[in-house]
Amino acid sequence: MKDFEEKDKKSEILDESLVETSASGKAEETIEETVVETKPDDKKCRVFLSRLCGFFKKAGLTVWSWTKRTFCGASKELSDDKKFAVEEIVSPTRQVVNNFFRKPLAVISLLIVVGMFLFVCIGPLVRGIDLSYMEGYHVNIAPGYNFMKVPSKLSKNVKSISSYSFFSVGLDNDDNLYVWGNTKMPTAANKSDMTKLPDELKGKKVAFAAAGYDHAIAITTEGRVIGWGEYDCGQYGDKGSLANLTSTVYKMPAGLMNGTIDPEQVEQLVCGYQVSAIVMKSGKVYAWGNYAGAKNLRALNSLNGVKEVQFLRGKCVALKKDGTLWFGNANASFDTLEIEEDGQVKFVDLSEYLASRKVVRIAATSTALGMVLEDGEFVVAGLFSPTKTSFVSIPDFADDEDIIDVGGGVKHFTVLTSKGKIYSFGENYLGQCNVPKGSFTDTDRLCVGAFQNYVISENNSIKTKWGCKGYLFGTDEMGRDVFNRIMHGGKMTMTIGAVAVIISTFIAILIGCISGYFGGWVDMLLMRVTEIFSAIPFLPFALILSAVLAGSNLTENTRIFMIMVILGLLSWTGLARMIRGQVLAEREKEFVTAAKAMGVKEGKIAFKHILPNVISVILVSVTLDFAGCMLTESSLSYLGFGVKLPRPTWGNMLDGCNNELVIGTLWWRWLFPALFLLITTIAINIIGDTLRDVLDPKSSSER
Amino acid sequence: MRNYLLKRILYIFVVFIILSFLMYLIYNMIPFNRADWIADQQKEFYKKDPQGLEALRQSWKIKLGYIDASGKEINIFRRWTNWLGITKLNGEFNGIFQGNFGVSYSNSNRPVLEVLKEPMKNTIFINIFATILALAVTIPLGIKCAVKKGSKIDTGVQVGSIIGYSMPTFITAILFIFIFAIKIKIFPVSGQKTPGSEYTGVKAFFDKLYYMGLPLIVMTFCSLGGMTRYVRASMIEALSMDCIRTARAKGVKEKTVVYSHAFRNALIPIITLVVGWFLGIFSGSIMIENIFGLNGMGKVYIGSLNNNDYDVVLTLQMFYVFISLVGNLLIDILYGFIDPRIRVSA
Repeated sequence: MKDFEEKDKKSEILDESLVETSASGKAEETIEETVVETKPDDKKCRVFLSRLCGFFKKAGLTVWSWTKRTFCGASKELSDDKKFAVEEIVSPTRQVVNNFFRKPLAVISLLIVVGMFLFVCIGPLVRGIDLSYMEGYHVNIAPGYNFMKVPSKLSKNVKSISSYSFFSVGLDNDDNLYVWGNTKMPTAANKSDMTKLPDELKGKKVAFAAAGYDHAIAITTEGRVIGWGEYDCGQYGDKGSLANLTSTVYKMPAGLMNGTIDPEQVEQLVCGYQVSAIVMKSGKVYAWGNYAGAKNLRALNSLNGVKEVQFLRGKCVALKKDGTLWFGNANASFDTLEIEEDGQVKFVDLSEYLASRKVVRIAATSTALGMVLEDGEFVVAGLFSPTKTSFVSIPDFADDEDIIDVGGGVKHFTVLTSKGKIYSFGENYLGQCNVPKGSFTDTDRLCVGAFQNYVISENNSIKTKWGCKGYLFGTDEMGRDVFNRIMHGGKMTMTIGAVAVIISTFIAILIGCISGYFGGWVDMLLMRVTEIFSAIPFLPFALILSAVLAGSNLTENTRIFMIMVILGLLSWTGLARMIRGQVLAEREKEFVTAAKAMGVKEGKIAFKHILPNVISVILVSVTLDFAGCMLTESSLSYLGFGVKLPRPTWGNMLDGCNNELVIGTLWWRWLFPALFLLITTIAINIIGDTLRDVLDPKSSSER
Repeated sequence: MRNYLLKRILYIFVVFIILSFLMYLIYNMIPFNRADWIADQQKEFYKKDPQGLEALRQSWKIKLGYIDASGKEINIFRRWTNWLGITKLNGEFNGIFQGNFGVSYSNSNRPVLEVLKEPMKNTIFINIFATILALAVTIPLGIKCAVKKGSKIDTGVQVGSIIGYSMPTFITAILFIFIFAIKIKIFPVSGQKTPGSEYTGVKAFFDKLYYMGLPLIVMTFCSLGGMTRYVRASMIEALSMDCIRTARAKGVKEKTVVYSHAFRNALIPIITLVVGWFLGIFSGSIMIENIFGLNGMGKVYIGSLNNNDYDVVLTLQMFYVFISLVGNLLIDILYGFIDPRIRVSA
């Protein structure tokens, strides 16, 4: 062995000197080039430069030869070079490594597995996961980063931008209409595409436009009120299946459906969850839509002197011209305020707190109402509490800092103050509160969408924007980011696979070595145990054990650990038999006799002398079993008996994808987890296969 | 040979008994008392009579063998022997050796065997069909790859088979549904027969085949990877034997060399694999049946696990164990048939 290693070193030295001579030969040429540029008397610099060049040349050549060897195999290189025509003697381990790295497929697989491993190890550290998180407004979103792709024509000339869920509607100052975002709704009742404008809107100038949850309303300059998108729940028109059910839907006024209104007289157009409202300058309101979007919708219609209307999830709020608020029957949600005073949280009656102060502007999230009072104070009523870790709390405004502009998204508010500062606060899971650094002025405007914010400068162009851009791999049925879940799910799947393999290999080595080395009745007994274990049908038994675990009141982490143990306990038999066979062959060899003669303890011979000789079998089996355990875990989780939702794994992410709608239309929900699982297991299996070929000289010579 | 077989059968019997105890133990680890459960269903009638409810509970406990007549708890070992039918429960032998597998509580207390009859037929149907299909593809393919080792076809099949055996069943199934049922609409997405149809005879068979088509293809595809590799490897080994060289030297036709001389030698490992695989798909079809909504044993198994219907679970579990043990015996017998050397030495 030592002789081999020495020769090995010599050959390495030979190799290096060869590279050096060839490198220095080329380096001379470069020196001549550099001479022209440097001063002739600057000798030191020249020498240094030439050395530097030489060094880089050498390093570059080495890296190049490595790369070439990795992808093209070294055999070609060897046959090209006469110097290497004589075969060098290499140590067995080195031979194995060399052989392994000569196979391009194996190297690529190794890179993939290492990459995947880093991805699932580092990824979760960068982006955490909130297991209870869900986002009703972003359900089944297709992959893509299109939420903030404002059309370039619009971004120079913005009049208004409106969005309530996953698509946005914008208007420029020339009254042109733009739609962007996730505009296709394949799971909705009418499968509408928001970019397909109705004929009435094509080529028409639009005075007002607003986006709702799954519909949008526009008022043309001619005064026609036109909706598009989903219409099934009475969002607009009277075509929907529920449109004539007066108990669930408040119909769009007939005058708006067929006639016109004067766009000059319109104060505000606003849409919500399948509801819409037009506020006239006279203070009259036309509101219609699904009662699910606003329970107090009907009463809104009979209201007078209204200045502004905002839709929350399930209710609407109106601001009257006299500065008072109207809640309809949703009073209970807003009548108390939570106020922190001297470090203590107190509840105050809203009307008491407001007293005679007037409300100037209102903005709404899906559950909370933000009010700007006439003295510039900002008050939030309703449900706006820091329940999530990613919550940005309301900033403390300075006393002389007045609120100029305010907007509400689904779960956050954004305000612009008189000092030219912008604050975003509320839930920040999708980055909607990460205000970029920049200089803002009090002449800027804010356009706040569902999860996006746009700052419009004085000349109507978009100064900056931030918020949710979209999802790389889309979202699932609960609005959770598939990419994030793949990252965390991979960590779980790989951990379970790895631990299960460690457990099973440990048992297999123990049983195989003892059984093979000692023989006799020990062997007999252990082999019968092995046979009993291998007679257990794997999947049904794993299922029943998981069911037993599910019935017991263990914590989730213990349960997951028990799953690893189950997988390990059920998959050691094959390897144990293989090790036993190998050990049986090894123990007849001379070195064992020698060790015995020297008086080495039996256990030490079995585990220290014989075991290293069977390590190749173990190595191959561990690799292949790792992939196998990952697959088993995914299968169990897929059937609902492994790791339970909402904790993701690559298997249970496919749970619930087993129907036509998901497989056919929402392809991103199954394709990406499946791809990750597949690529990883294929790569691991290729590595295992290559290892087997490389470790067994007989099989590789056969090929 | 006979002695050997007797020894094997005895051994299998012992393993079966041991495993049945293991299963029974696990089944009893579930914190679920059947007698209490049955009695609690009658709670409404015994609202004013808590003692009556308690009496009912006791009577069921005695009936189901949780306690004996004197109210003493019966230990797990005795309960297991009662369940097997080796010892007397309430004065009579009434266990699985007498053919009593219990009742399915989620199926209006019908006997387990009756509940399992139809699913068992379905499962065996698809499993046998899938086996035939898989063998028809893999054996010729494996032989071809072994004979033309290193050719383009061989490399292609090798790469394909790595992908094949790295693919879990459910991903293959979803992928195939996507391709063959949604993009190209040749097969139905799921189901067992055309809803509302009352076909008989040949028409019913073809209707069944139409619905079973995709599951069968998926099952076959899933087995292709591993089996082709195995057939190829054992064929390569067989082709490198001295007898093959002799046969070739004698001038035997290449076809005869491959299919008669080499293939017979390669059969032993293949038989092990085929029988093992056939047993494997019985449990493997759990996945397929759940994905495609086929009324097979796997689906019943999962459903019973979810409904705490443990008599059914236990019966099925014992069935799987039994199948795998009998399969091992079958492998041994088949060895003897194929290889005279084994027959003689045994």
